[in-house]
Amino acid sequence: MVVLRAGLCPGLTEDMIQLLRANGIKTVVDFVSSDLEDVAQKCSLSYKALVAVRRVLLAQFSAFPANGADLYEELKSSTAILPTGSPSLDQLLDSGLYTGEVIELMGAPGSGKTQVCLGIAASVSLGLKQHVLFLDSTGGFTASRLYQMLQAQTEDEEEHLEALQRIQVVRAFSIYELLSALQELRDRLSQQVVSSVGPLKMVVLDSVSAVIYPLLGGKQSEGLALMMQLSRELKTLAREFSLAVVVTNQVTRDSSTGPLKPALGRSWSFVPSTRVLLEGREATGEKATTQRLASLAKSPRQPTGIQVELDIG
Amino acid sequence: MQREVGTLPLAPALRARLAAAGFQTAQELLDTGPCGLSKEIGISREEALEALQVVRQECHGDAARTAGGSGATRKCTALELLEEEQTQGFIITFCSALDNILGGGVQLTKITEICGAPGVGKTQLCMQLAVDVQIPECFGGVAGEAVFIDTEGSFMVDRVVDIAAACVQHCHLIAEAQEEEDHQKALETFSLENILSHIYYFRCRDYIELLAQVYLLPEFLSEHSKVRLVVIDGIAFPFRHDFEDLSLRTRLLNGLAQQLIIIANDHKSAVVLTNQMTTRIGQSQSTLVPALGESWGHAATVRLIFHWDNNQRLATLYKSPSQKESTIAYHITPHGFRDVQPPAVAHSAEGTGMNPRKRPRTEEEKQ
Repeated sequence: MVVLRAGLCPGLTEDMIQLLRANGIKTVVDFVSSDLEDVAQKCSLSYKALVAVRRVLLAQFSAFPANGADLYEELKSSTAILPTGSPSLDQLLDSGLYTGEVIELMGAPGSGKTQVCLGIAASVSLGLKQHVLFLDSTGGFTASRLYQMLQAQTEDEEEHLEALQRIQVVRAFSIYELLSALQELRDRLSQQVVSSVGPLKMVVLDSVSAVIYPLLGGKQSEGLALMMQLSRELKTLAREFSLAVVVTNQVTRDSSTGPLKPALGRSWSFVPSTRVLLEGREATGEKATTQRLASLAKSPRQPTGIQVELDIG
Repeated sequence: MQREVGTLPLAPALRARLAAAGFQTAQELLDTGPCGLSKEIGISREEALEALQVVRQECHGDAARTAGGSGATRKCTALELLEEEQTQGFIITFCSALDNILGGGVQLTKITEICGAPGVGKTQLCMQLAVDVQIPECFGGVAGEAVFIDTEGSFMVDRVVDIAAACVQHCHLIAEAQEEEDHQKALETFSLENILSHIYYFRCRDYIELLAQVYLLPEFLSEHSKVRLVVIDGIAFPFRHDFEDLSLRTRLLNGLAQQLIIIANDHKSAVVLTNQMTTRIGQSQSTLVPALGESWGHAATVRLIFHWDNNQRLATLYKSPSQKESTIAYHITPHGFRDVQPPAVAHSAEGTGMNPRKRPRTEEEKQ
């Protein structure tokens, strides 16, 4: 719904806009969907000029259809699969994290979501030497734990320091800060500024429900609108810049004895393409263990219900 | 700036009007100017000016961050964070087993939640921490001040006096044993009156007062920049009784949690909350779980659950980003929160070492 303005395309002058506005045509959609002969008569403008303007506006604002084969070629050349560093998790995700997609990890408190995110960030930064952006909205990012994980993977001090420098951490504790951070990331990537953020391949958001929960519910629908804005930002970032986006979510119960279900409701459930549920001690029935059970709840490639054991120790 | 209008922090009614009028990006808004804007969407010029101010602030914030790089708020690499964490202190609890499982003590910039049944020692630990945060740096403390927000009325000043006196004596003993100059200097300022005067006490009677206090806390903290600990004793109490609308409760609690995380991060202080327990009735058994629901469990970064095992008090680390789950035993003595002493040591003269104000759970045989 873009408003008609002078200079939007050659041939669209200020006088034309005033005349059109006087007749109730304010936006591009109004212009393109109206009968041009009618408009030419009412506004006493030349029909040819109007047709030329319409052609340019259509070219500027409409989406172009793409060929399936071209799309497949593009996908083959731009998608990468990032191994997560844990063979059982890779098996669950069909060999790793696919770029261009949003993957969600959900679980109860203490089930290991932040640990798995740290593990993935460590392995991508150390093993694949790619840059990672970690958006922390819960304050749960502990650099010393990340360092511990890096030390467990390799002995080389230099590599540790380099890997730590490749992980950038942004702390955004409210939805607007988060949206600004994503906007800033998009600007940086589209301008291709060669800065400390080199070839970015992964964005981890821990957690999305912490920033959205305070807005949902009640009589206002503003929360849902902001949630959808956020999901659109994440998906377009993933698709346009070939990033893998990992998001963590909470779980809630319907009643105090009901089964666990992911938070943020049905609207959010369409956003991630892959969903993994992490379960802790209640499922395994042991005390003080570092084993967790990961099950696939939604996937475009694998059958759901696959379960693997993860060690987050 | 190609920032979408929907993502700007404006009032929802205003946003709806802007969308209806066809504005999509922030740049278009800025181009129109206040007069054009007020004419297009039918609001007064003052409102249009205000809205444009907000937009300009957001966009300049974005631009500064893109151009300036790391000068912005809260953005850094993991390496810088690691260095920061390694130089950060911990608030010790005087119970070395508990400090060990926490990785050194209560961490700054994180929210720690303590859950437990009544009488198990949550308020005792909070009072101990309010004293321990003030220990001078040469003795291993963080030399900060404390804010104590009380909703249950369980803060007893005479108990804090006992704990503080024991702490001061402990430091005196260390100073005598080691005999260093800065120890003596620090001890001059570490006295009972000083400790008590640096604990800022707030009493909140219902949830509205609590919310107001937490939202006004950043201003208070910027005036008292030495505060390193914020304790909220009894976050469950105002939210558990008399709340009809449960979804409102969840919203308020989550908003509160985010505000506390912002406070913990910006002022480099630890936030400690105490929570109550509730019973979850399952298929064939009932278990004690922390109150305030599932979603509250995600608010705290570190969660400790205190419980009883016969006559012994135990603490379990239930959730932590960097430590493994484990359970230890602790004691509450007249001097405060302490380790469990081995049974042969002659502490039996002082009784079983339980806090004289809390009755023991089982009747002790008088011999």
